[in-house]
This record gives sequence, structure tokens and C-alpha cells, in this order.
Amino acid sequence: MELGVFIAGVLLSGLRSATPLLYVLLGETLTERTGVVNLGVEGQMLLGAFAGFAATVVTGNPWTGLAVGALAGMLLSVVHGALCLGLKANYFASGVAVWMLGGGLSAYFGISMVGQRIDGFAPIPFGALAKIPVIGPAIDQITPTVFLALALCALTGFFLYRTRLGLYWRAVGESAEAASTMGIRPLWIKWQGVLAGGLLSGLGGAALSVDYTRNWIEWMTAGRGLIAVGLVIVARWNPLLALPAALLFGTTEALTLRMQTLGVNVSPYLLGTLPYLVCLAVLIYGYRRARSRGGMPRDLAAVFAKTE
Amino acid sequence: MFSNRLLNLTWKSLALGAMLSAAAVSPALAAKPKVGYIYVGPKTDFGYNYAMDQGRLVVEKKLGVKTVFFENIPENAEVERVMERLINQGFTLIFATSYGYLDPALNVAKKYPKVTFMHGGGFKLAPNLGTFFADIDEVEYLAGIAAGAASKTGKLGYIAAHPIPQTLRNINAWTLGAQSVNPKITTTVVWTGSWSDPTKEAEAANTLIDGGADVLSMHVDGPITVAQTAEKRGVMVTGYHADASKFAPKGWLVGAAWNWGELMTKIVSSVEKGTWKSEHLRGKLSDNYVKLTGFGPKVPASAKTAIAAKEKAFKGGADLWVGPITAQDGSVVLKAGETLPMAKIESMNFLVKGVVATIK
Amino acid sequence: MKPFALNLPFLKTPTATALLPTGASALVFIGVSALFFALLGHEPFGLLWQVVLGAFGDKYSFTETLVKTAPILLCALAAAVPARLGLLTVGASGQFYLGAWLGTGIVLLLAETSGLVLLPLMLLGAALGGAAWSVIPGFLRARWEVNETLSTLLLNYVGALIVEWAVYGPWRDPGALGFPATRVLPDSIKLPTFLESRAHLGLLFGLVLAVGLHLLFTRSRWGLSLRIMKSNRKVAESAGMNYKLNVILIMAIGGAIAGLAGMCEVSAIHGRLQPGIALNFGLTGFLVAWMAGQHLIKIIPLSLIMGAILAASDALQLFYSLPAAIAVVLQALLFLSVLAVGGFLSKRKKA
Repeated sequence: MELGVFIAGVLLSGLRSATPLLYVLLGETLTERTGVVNLGVEGQMLLGAFAGFAATVVTGNPWTGLAVGALAGMLLSVVHGALCLGLKANYFASGVAVWMLGGGLSAYFGISMVGQRIDGFAPIPFGALAKIPVIGPAIDQITPTVFLALALCALTGFFLYRTRLGLYWRAVGESAEAASTMGIRPLWIKWQGVLAGGLLSGLGGAALSVDYTRNWIEWMTAGRGLIAVGLVIVARWNPLLALPAALLFGTTEALTLRMQTLGVNVSPYLLGTLPYLVCLAVLIYGYRRARSRGGMPRDLAAVFAKTE
Repeated sequence: MFSNRLLNLTWKSLALGAMLSAAAVSPALAAKPKVGYIYVGPKTDFGYNYAMDQGRLVVEKKLGVKTVFFENIPENAEVERVMERLINQGFTLIFATSYGYLDPALNVAKKYPKVTFMHGGGFKLAPNLGTFFADIDEVEYLAGIAAGAASKTGKLGYIAAHPIPQTLRNINAWTLGAQSVNPKITTTVVWTGSWSDPTKEAEAANTLIDGGADVLSMHVDGPITVAQTAEKRGVMVTGYHADASKFAPKGWLVGAAWNWGELMTKIVSSVEKGTWKSEHLRGKLSDNYVKLTGFGPKVPASAKTAIAAKEKAFKGGADLWVGPITAQDGSVVLKAGETLPMAKIESMNFLVKGVVATIK
Repeated sequence: MKPFALNLPFLKTPTATALLPTGASALVFIGVSALFFALLGHEPFGLLWQVVLGAFGDKYSFTETLVKTAPILLCALAAAVPARLGLLTVGASGQFYLGAWLGTGIVLLLAETSGLVLLPLMLLGAALGGAAWSVIPGFLRARWEVNETLSTLLLNYVGALIVEWAVYGPWRDPGALGFPATRVLPDSIKLPTFLESRAHLGLLFGLVLAVGLHLLFTRSRWGLSLRIMKSNRKVAESAGMNYKLNVILIMAIGGAIAGLAGMCEVSAIHGRLQPGIALNFGLTGFLVAWMAGQHLIKIIPLSLIMGAILAASDALQLFYSLPAAIAVVLQALLFLSVLAVGGFLSKRKKA
């Protein structure tokens, strides 16, 4: 029973800290499904974090903050789209440039945001649920952004696998050429993918600053956007596997922090390598089982293979 | 490679043309020293670098000297380049505010004997390099008294970046202060591994709270995330670096803050007047180089009395690091009445009994 | 889409075609950054001129630019070499750290040995450390097709943490008052410098490696076989080429170069192993490699430009009291300009 409670606590705190990551993961999954890679999600997340925080400071309403953050992320993704889809620039290089732009701009304009205080979301009235012994307080910590993220997982999964537009997206990701012969306009679909990714990564950034930390500092995402890009591969480009993938990373992190409090006598730096190693292990396991591209959309594989 | 040279030439000729009509950029020479500040992080961190920058602003205002600052300069040989640039522009006093700048500063100091260097927190000297710091651990002790008195669970939580001596001093002082009120107090430490990573800080804070801690403190670049998280979860917090009470109106107990303006003004004045000496300047509570911020609503009256008394004692010259002090593993660090010499304090490498943490 | 028609005859000469991308990118960059600065209320061209001065204005600035160019060049090679086989690795920073780590370990272990032996041993160790860190993802790719972009990305973080563990833990210098670093390494292993500055031998390594590997890849049989393996793996394998072995080999070479970069930085610039020394050389190197189209010779001037921007960024902080973020924005604008112009021109070519 003790162990069960401990595990539940770790899972819930992993979910909490992985929520911003989850948004970006979903967004990049969608983008890559249409055959585009966007490494700039970290920059979009940063810009969203700043814009969302600023909007919340100004309006006092965290929901507005989330919306503005999402919008900011989407606007930045337009740069990536314009370069890659409009001007046929290299996807990876463009993504990194967008990342730097987003980070630099948010760091620059965000200066006025330091030391500002926001209230964040009002706690959700969980009622009886919060009274459950030991895990009750953990449940109590679940905020609207967590619910929104979970809802979005289901929504994107439904969209991709059960709607016609989702089918077109997948078709374009597999082969833009074949899709165009079917009358689909791949370029337009890819734009949708990029913008959707921008929207969600901006939202993730805003969730981080407005909800989880209620604070803004420059470069606050600390590489999580990039980890999300990696986790897309772990989740095998399937939005329904995004939650387990994000949890994998989040709970391992939560676990290593908990291990510190339990007086485990291992260097915290070595403990810190665990989340990455666990992801790597899962990745290897996945590839060994599938013995294939690992679920990668075919056109995307071409993007990764192309090096010019 | 040819095209690169052409590129450079193009840039230069284009810019030169524009420059001819633009104002020349030449810093005006003044009789007063030109002072440069180098920070390891952004001055907007509302924490360590912010406090240093506040000091700089006081210097500018009080003495009317020209100051310039650099942010985000890493703690390695990178900083040598920044210092050389400053010196090339005629800066004669440089504040290297972060610990890791010490050896690079010593290197540059050797090259430029006419320039004065002030290093924050170091323990080495050169004819033209002195160090400055303030014993904020005295204030941490006082904050610890408040934490110990206010805590109902007897469990405290500390979020820290890296196990460096300054951090260990703070953790120990805070814990000792708390234990003076309640000897059974324990402090659990979570290392985030980064001076600035809000996600990890929030997660660390949550983990500690889940584990039963009801008062938190921190030694990371900025106190805001931890304060916000503590407030969100309804626990208490004592702050560090700067007054973050507005972020935790209910849970804020008290904070330990820097007050560099006066010390820095003294230093710059002495350079100006020619009375500067190379020495280890250490401010204490009594010099007002560190201060206790205001009390929050949850500090019990008994704690306030105890704090006032101890503050008076410190200002009167009482030692913070005096025995009996036992280490985590039970060994005796200081016997009753023994004190710790400054060198040992500044290189502290142990944690006191009651602290749960690994410092490998 | 109708291409923008520029019908000027001189633009069609070979020299012009070669210079056009560079010239146009430079113009776009200057234009965009000037606009950015103007929007922020600063005097734009003076600012850009300060960047140029800060990078090349005097001997000190120039040598500092060279100091930055060396690790960028090496890390760019570390990305471009595996690209020969179509492998997309972003692991230069992790390999940088492992190279620095292993090299430092050797020096700490054999500190008394004469520099004549220790220096090459240290460099060899660094190359091995970086190579090992790169071979792991290489092996995973060869054996199980594990995506090397992800595995190298994850190992970057692990590599940095390994160095942190070492300098906060077993290798921490007891005399440094707890500052996370090893003790200062003996002078015997300091890399030779030139021009009475901090510019060091690492730059020469980079140049030699770039030219040497370029010749190797374009002129040798092995280079040819790499090209075949990259374009059509099945055909290559049926012709008897060992794709998997080559994956591991090419990753090892790339990693070794990054590892070398790490130890050069430690030996010539910092004098000891500390965390955070990789700055973002790995990322910048990756970007330089991509901008150069993975062409090993083109990487050289691009590394210089990037080194210039990084070295000059403090000029902006100094003279205009601009926050450090500005340098990042500038870099981003440069990349965007190069990409935009490159993309635009290639579109015109196709049309």
C-alpha cells in the first residue's frame, strides 16, 4: 500500500511537471505528421512563456495568458513555415534559427516582466477527491492546464485518426507526391501542421510560466522543447502515446528528486542523467521490437535522411 | 575564403559610409574612475545578480561615476575577454561579481597592474585585486529562527543549485537557527543542478512539500518560483537574495537580502581617493551590508523576540560558527566554545546534523 | 509562382554566381538587423560597425575571434563528417564534454609525466572520449536503426552531467573553496598559442582536419564508397560494402573531432575542467555545418563569421548597454538571412 501511494505520488507530480512538455510534444507530433520538422519549438515555447506571462500581468486573467501565449507561438512558427515551405530552406537549420530568435526576443522583451507577480489559476474545487489520504494533496495540485493537456491528447488523437482532414495530414506525411495526385494540396496541409505545432508549443510555454511556475525568467524552458522533439520519436508520432512518453520523462525526473529527499547517497548529477537514459532505453526497446522506421511517416524519413 | 574577405570588405565599406554621418562612439574621459561590473547571470533575476546591480545603481547615484555592466558572462576564461575589453576602453575598476571569475581575474590583474579588481566572494589576493563579500549566513540564522518557530511539522525544505561552500554555509546557518528553537528540526535539501531552472525549482519545492516540509528556503539565482510554489501549496517560505514577500503574502516569514550599495560606494570612493588597499572586505550584519527583510504575518511573536536578541548579539560581535556543532555523520566539527577560522568557513564542506542531503 | 526576374548580365558570370549568396545574405542581414535596431530606438549602423570592430577591429579582437572560431570549426566538422553517410547528429556538445573529461582524467592521472608524452596522450584521450560517446549512438543506429538525432541529443545532456559529477565530486579541487572545477592543469599540457594571444593550436587542427577530410572524402575510394552507401544502401551492401561498420566508423571520427575541441578548450583557454565550457559550440557548429551544406571547406569561413559574432557580442553590451539577448537575436537574424536568401535563390534556380 505504501509503495502504491508512493508511485501514485510520483506519477502525479511527474504529470504536473511534464504538462508543459506534453503540449509541445503534441504540437510537434502534429507538425511532423505532415512531414515537417520544427526544431524551433523551444523558441516558440519561450516566446509563448513570455507573451503569456505578460498578458496575464496586464489583464490579470490566466486564460487570456494561455491564449496570447499560444498565439505568440503560432506567429513565430510562421517564420519557420515561410522559410521552409515558402523558400524551401533546410528544415533543421531554419528550426534552430527560429529557436534562437524566439529565445532572444523573449529574453530581450521580457526584461520588463521580471519581478512581476501574477495570481495564476484559482484552485479547482476537487471536493471529496482531495480528501483521499496522501494522494489527495497531489490531486489537489492538478490545475486547468493539466486537464487541458489531457483533453488535447485525446482531441489530437481523434483528429489524426478519425477525421478526414487528419487522414489528409497523414497522407501528406507519408508521401506528399501521392497525396497531391489525390487532389490534396500538400503545401497547405504542411502549413496547417506548422501552425498547429506553433499554437501548441506557445501554449505549452504559457502553461509553464502562467501556471506551473507563475514566474518568468529568460530561457526558462531549459531545453524542454528540444526534449519534446526527441520524445515525439519515443511516442512514435502517435498523439495517444504522447502522454506516456511525457510521463516517462516527467516521472523519472520526479523520482530522482524524490530519491534525493529520501537520502539516497548518489551524486545528484548522476541521478540527473536518469530521465535521459530511461528515454534512451525505451527508444532502443521500441526500435528493437519494431525493427523498422519506428513508425516514422515516410516523407519525414526523407527529411531526416536528406542532408543538403 | 576569398568570398569571406570580400564579405568583410563589403561590410566595412558599407558601414564606414554610414558611420561618416553617424555620431562617433567614444566614451568621454572623466577624472573619476570608470567602473565595470560583470555578472554571471541576468541582472533581472531578482536575485544575486539583481542585488549586485542594485549596488551599481547606488554607486552611480551617490558618486556620479560612469558604470557599465555585462550580463550572462560564464564563469570561466570567457570573462578574461570581457575584462580586457573594459580595460581597453579605459575602465580602471572592475567588479567581478561571481565566484568563478577569481582565477581569470587574477590572470588579467597580472597583465594590468594599474587597474583595480574587486572580486565577489573569493579568498585570494593580488596587489591590485581585493575581494568583497558579506556574511549573509548570519541573516540566514535569524531567518532559520523564524522558520523553526513557525514550522508545525518540524520538517524544513531547502532548494539549492549546487553544493558550493556559500550554499552549505546558508543551509547550515538556517538549520542551526531553526534548531535553536526546536532541536528536532530537520532540513531536507533538493539539488536542482542549475542556478536557474524554474521547472526544476517548482518540482523540487513540490517534492519537499509532498514529503512534509512546511517551510521552504532556497539558494538559487532567483527566489520567485519557490516563493510562488510555496504560496500555492499553502506552506511558508523564507527568502534569499532579495525581498520576495509580495509573491507569498501569506506564507512569507522573513528574508535574507544583500545590500551592496554602501559597500560598493566605499570601495569606489577609496579607489577615487587613492586609499584603496588589497584586502578581503567582509561585511557583516553590523555593517548593514546584509539585512533582514520585513516579517510576514505567520512569524510568532516569540520568534521575533528571539531574532531581535540574536541580531543584537551578532551586531555586538558574537560568532555564528561556534561550537558545539556536529556534522551529518555524527562527528564533532566544533567543541563547545570553539570557533571556525575564516578560511574554514569560506571553504565549508560539511552539513550539520539534521540536514538530509548528499554532497558528493 | 513567377520568379522575380533579374535580368542583369553581370549577375550571370561565374564570379557573381558564387558571390551572390554571400553578398545577398550579408545585405539582407544588415538590412534586417538595422531595422531591428532602429525599431528599438538605437542608431543601427554604428551598432553594426561596433560588431565588426569588436570582431576584427584590432589585434586583440581578431585573436579573440580566432579563439571562438576554433571550437566552432571543430564542432561543425563533427556534424558534417557523419552527414557524409546521411547521419544527422547533434551530439557535438556531449562528445565535447566526454573528450574534455577523458583528456583531463589522463592528465590528472599522469600529471608528473613530461609534456612531450602527456600532451599527445591527452589529445589522444580526448579523441577517444569523444569518439566513444559518438560510437554509442552509432552502434545503436547500425544495429537497431535507432534514430541517431535523438540518441545524440539525449547523450548531450548526459555528457554535461558526467562532467558536473566529476568536478563537483571526485575531481573537485580542494583548494578552490568548493568551486566546481578540477585543479589547474600543469603547464606542460597547455596547447601552444600564437600571435601572443589566446589563439591556439586547436584552430590549426581544425583547418588541417577540414582540408584533409575534404580531400579524403572527395578523392579517395573510401569517400566514393561513402557516397554510394549514402545514396543507396541496398546497392552498396550488395556490392559488398559494410554499411554498419562505416556508420560506426564515421560517427567515431566525428565524435573524436568534437572530443578534441573539448580538450583544446580546457587545455588552452580554461586551464582546468569545469562545467559549462561547451557554451553552445555544439549547436553553433551544427548550424554552421548546415549553412555550409556540409561542405567541409565552406565550413571554414562560416565558422569565422560565427566566431566573430560571438566574440563581438560583448562590444554591444559594452558600448550600447544592450542586454546579452541582443547577441542571440543577431545570430538568429544572420541565420535567417542566410537561409532566406539561400532558399530564395535555389527556388529561382529550380524555376
